[in-house]
Amino acid sequence: MALLTDELKAWIGREVHYPAREELGRASIRYFALAMGDENPLYLDDAYAQEAGHPSVIAPPTLVCETCQYAHRRPDPNGYIGHEWQLPITDCRMIRAGNEYQFMRTVLPEDRISVTWTLEDIVERPSSRGGTQLFVSSVARYKDAAGEVVAINCETVVYQPMEKA
Amino acid sequence: MIKPTKSVAMVLAGESLPVLERTFTTVDLMAYGAATWDWHRVHYDIDFAWAMKLPNVVIDGQAFGALFARAVVDWAGPQAFVARLSFKMKSMAFAGETLRMQGEVTQIRSSTVIVAQRLTSGRRLVSEAETEVRLPF
Repeated sequence: MALLTDELKAWIGREVHYPAREELGRASIRYFALAMGDENPLYLDDAYAQEAGHPSVIAPPTLVCETCQYAHRRPDPNGYIGHEWQLPITDCRMIRAGNEYQFMRTVLPEDRISVTWTLEDIVERPSSRGGTQLFVSSVARYKDAAGEVVAINCETVVYQPMEKA
Repeated sequence: MIKPTKSVAMVLAGESLPVLERTFTTVDLMAYGAATWDWHRVHYDIDFAWAMKLPNVVIDGQAFGALFARAVVDWAGPQAFVARLSFKMKSMAFAGETLRMQGEVTQIRSSTVIVAQRLTSGRRLVSEAETEVRLPF
């Protein structure tokens, strides 16, 4: 049975916007650096960052694309609070296939970053394990308070049918 | 005194980046999930992972992006700007695994250096990336 139903195809092109709720913040930057074991003073020490030409500490490059700080909802049954399409797909396991990030400028603690997710495409392809699987491509555009795009995240996830027990 | 930043003239095609190794413990997975507002159970709830037929809690694939970027910034210096990072997942990685990151300069185009990176666990390829970093001339 085809995984890519007409109902699912109708999701292509959908868009969801998450407004910024606060500045990214120094705490978020330091927390991320600590969690990654990254002791680069660019993320921790204003004087060091200023000597490197920045107005203050900066965010690690990928933080803006990795954080769900834009989220504000109760956790779903999986505990997740970030963006998800809640596609009508059942009995599948979702796995990340890859991401392509583009960065337009360095992100600072004072930045208020809003995010718009667009569902670009859904494609069904044969799986090496037999049968088929679904590739879902989404794009997140991250904008600052002036509406300028600071980063773009093209993300592909795969839905694999679960083996029957 | 800040660490010096490499200029384009200092970089050679084929040059290797220093190897970066990181072991992701369950504490690291909890900390990363909290720091990125990602509370998905698959990263800390072992019963949930087993129910998903996984051997252990899963390292968030997005953390590999942070590692790829870090390896390039550590190598290039504080005035380098990561302009693009594209990474693909090749296999899942689980709590307790030590991941090893290697990188090599593949191209130099004007002020942009392109680095090919590989993340492995033992002999298993976990993820690979192509990263573009802009350097001063």
